[in-house]
Amino acid sequence: MAADEPDESARARAVRLLSGPRSRLGVTVGPSAAWILTLLVAPLAFMVAVSFFEVSSLTYQIVYEPTLNNYRSLFDGGGAIWNTPFVTALWLSYVIATVTTLLCLTLAFPLAYLLARSGGRLFKVVIFFVLLPFFTMYLVRAYSWVLMFGPGGVINSTLMSWGLIDAPLGIFNYGVPAIIVGLTHAYFPYMLLTLYASLDGLDFSIIEAARDLGASRVEVLRDHVIPLTLPGIIGGSLFVFVPSVGAFITPTFLGQGKVQMIGMLIESRVAGTYSIGYASAASMFVLVSIVGAMILAFRYVSIEELGGA
Amino acid sequence: MSESTETAGATERLVGHQTVERLLGTSLYVVSGLLLLFLWVPLAIIIFLAFAENAVTIFPFEGLTLDNFRLALRSDSMRASLAGSFTIATVAASVATVLGVLASFALTRYRFRLREVYRTFGIIPMVIPGIILGVALRIYFQNLLGILPGFATVVLAHSLYGLPFVLLIVSARLYTFDESLEEAARDLGADPLTVFRDVTLPVIAPAVGAGFLFAWIRSFEDYIRALFLTGPNTDVLTIWMFSRIRQLDAPELNAVSALIVFGIAIALAVAMNVGNVTGYVAGTVTEEEG
Repeated sequence: MAADEPDESARARAVRLLSGPRSRLGVTVGPSAAWILTLLVAPLAFMVAVSFFEVSSLTYQIVYEPTLNNYRSLFDGGGAIWNTPFVTALWLSYVIATVTTLLCLTLAFPLAYLLARSGGRLFKVVIFFVLLPFFTMYLVRAYSWVLMFGPGGVINSTLMSWGLIDAPLGIFNYGVPAIIVGLTHAYFPYMLLTLYASLDGLDFSIIEAARDLGASRVEVLRDHVIPLTLPGIIGGSLFVFVPSVGAFITPTFLGQGKVQMIGMLIESRVAGTYSIGYASAASMFVLVSIVGAMILAFRYVSIEELGGA
Repeated sequence: MSESTETAGATERLVGHQTVERLLGTSLYVVSGLLLLFLWVPLAIIIFLAFAENAVTIFPFEGLTLDNFRLALRSDSMRASLAGSFTIATVAASVATVLGVLASFALTRYRFRLREVYRTFGIIPMVIPGIILGVALRIYFQNLLGILPGFATVVLAHSLYGLPFVLLIVSARLYTFDESLEEAARDLGADPLTVFRDVTLPVIAPAVGAGFLFAWIRSFEDYIRALFLTGPNTDVLTIWMFSRIRQLDAPELNAVSALIVFGIAIALAVAMNVGNVTGYVAGTVTEEEG
C-alpha cells in the first residue's frame, strides 16, 4: 500500500497527524474555522465597531472615538423620521420582500405538490425546466425582465402591436410591481425546491386516510399537509425573504431610479462617498432583522432541514 | 397519482366527486404549466433577441442575424472579464471545496464543543445578504488590514461564500455513509489516508463534485460581493455585464446571455444524467444516489 508512495516521510507524518482524535479534529475543523473567524466573524465585528465610530470624509480614515452620529444620521433628514431615505428604504424593502415571499409560496406550492406526486419522465423534464433558470446567472435573469418591462419593453410593445392596448400600460413600466416580479422570478426556485424536499418526504397515505374518513380538501390541507410541511414552508420563506430584503441588482434595474431599497442605499453610500459609518449603521438594522427572522424560523425548523437550496 | 386518492371511499361520495377531482387535477397541471411559462418566457425572449436585428424588443421585427454574437465574441473587454471570472470562480470553489469537505467530516463524525455554533456559522455566508458581506469585507480589508481590493480579496470572499454549499451537500452525503466500510478497510490494515482515498472518496465524490459546481456557479454569478472587493486589474464578467445593462447596450448583452443559458443547459443536462442533481439541490439525498 504505502510502498508505491514516493514521499514516505511526508506520508508517515500525515498518517500520524490523522491518528489522534485531537489532531484529527484540528485538521478537519481548523481550516474552515479559521476562514469563518477571519472572513466572517471579524469583518462583521469590525462593521459593528465602525458603526459606532466617525469616519473622516477627507481621508476616509476611521476616527476611533465612540459616537452615535452614524445612527443619528440614519434618522436625520430634515423632516419627519419616516421620511428619511433610510426609513423609507428599509420599510419598502420589508414590504417588497414580504409580498415576494407570499407570492412565491402560493405559486410554488401547487408545482411542488405535483412534482412530489409524480415520478419518472415527467418529473425529470419538469425539474430540468425549473433548474435551468435556477442555475442561470442571476444577472441574466434580472436583465431578461429589463427587456420585458418598460414603456417600450416586450410586454407593452407586444400588446400594442396586437392592438390590445393603444398606449403603454403603467403597470408594465419599471417600478415596484416590476421589482416584485423580478424577485419572484429570481427566488422562486429556492421556494420550490425547499417545498418539494419537504413534500417529497410526506406520507401521502395520511392524506388518503383523512379523505376517506370524510375530511374536506381544505381540512386536509389545513390539518395535515401544512403542519407536516411546515419546515419546508418556513425554510423556503426564509430563503426568499432574506435575499429579497437585501436585494440590489433587481431593484436597481427594474426600479430604474424610481425606487430605492435598503441594499441600494447602502451601496450608493459606500460606492459614492465611502460613507462606511452610515453604511455600517444601516447594515446593523438589516442584520438584526434577519437574525430575528432566523431565530423565529429555527423555532420550527432545524438548520439541517434548511440544507440544500 | 390522483387516482389512488379516490379509490377507497369513492363510491360513498357524491356523484359529482369524480368531476371535481378531475377538474382539480387539471387545474393543478394548468397552474404548473403557467408557472413554467413564467420561468421561461423571459429567457426565451433573450435568446430570440440575441438572434434579432432589433436587439431591444420584438416589434418591429427586422429579421434574424448572427452579428450580435460576432460583436460579443470579438469584444476584448468581454473576453478579459470572462477569463477573470473563470479564474476567480475556479480558485475560490477549489478552496471552498477543500474547507467544506474537511468541515463536513468534522460535523458528521466528531462531537466537540461549540459544534452547533460552528455549523450555524458555516451556513451563514450563504444566507447573509451579499451587500452586507461585501461591504463588511471591503471595510475590513481596506481600513483594518490595509489590503487594497483586488484578485486575492475577491477570491477570499467567494471561497467563504461557497463554503456552505459544499458543507451542506457533502455532510448530507456523509450522514448516510456506511462507516463500517471504513472499519473493514482499517481492520484489513489500511492506514487512514488509504481508507480515505480508496473507500470514502469514491463514495462521496459525486457530492464533492456537486458542491464544487455549486460554489463555482455562485462565485461566477456574483456581482455585489465582487463589486466591493475587486480592483482595477481584476476583470469580472458580472461587472462588465452590469455596466452594459445600465446603458441598455442590448446587442452584446443578449448574445452573452444566450450563450450562458446554452452553456448551463448543456452542463445541467449532462450533470442530471450523471448524478442526482435534484437530490443535491433539494437536499433529499438519502440512499445511494441514482
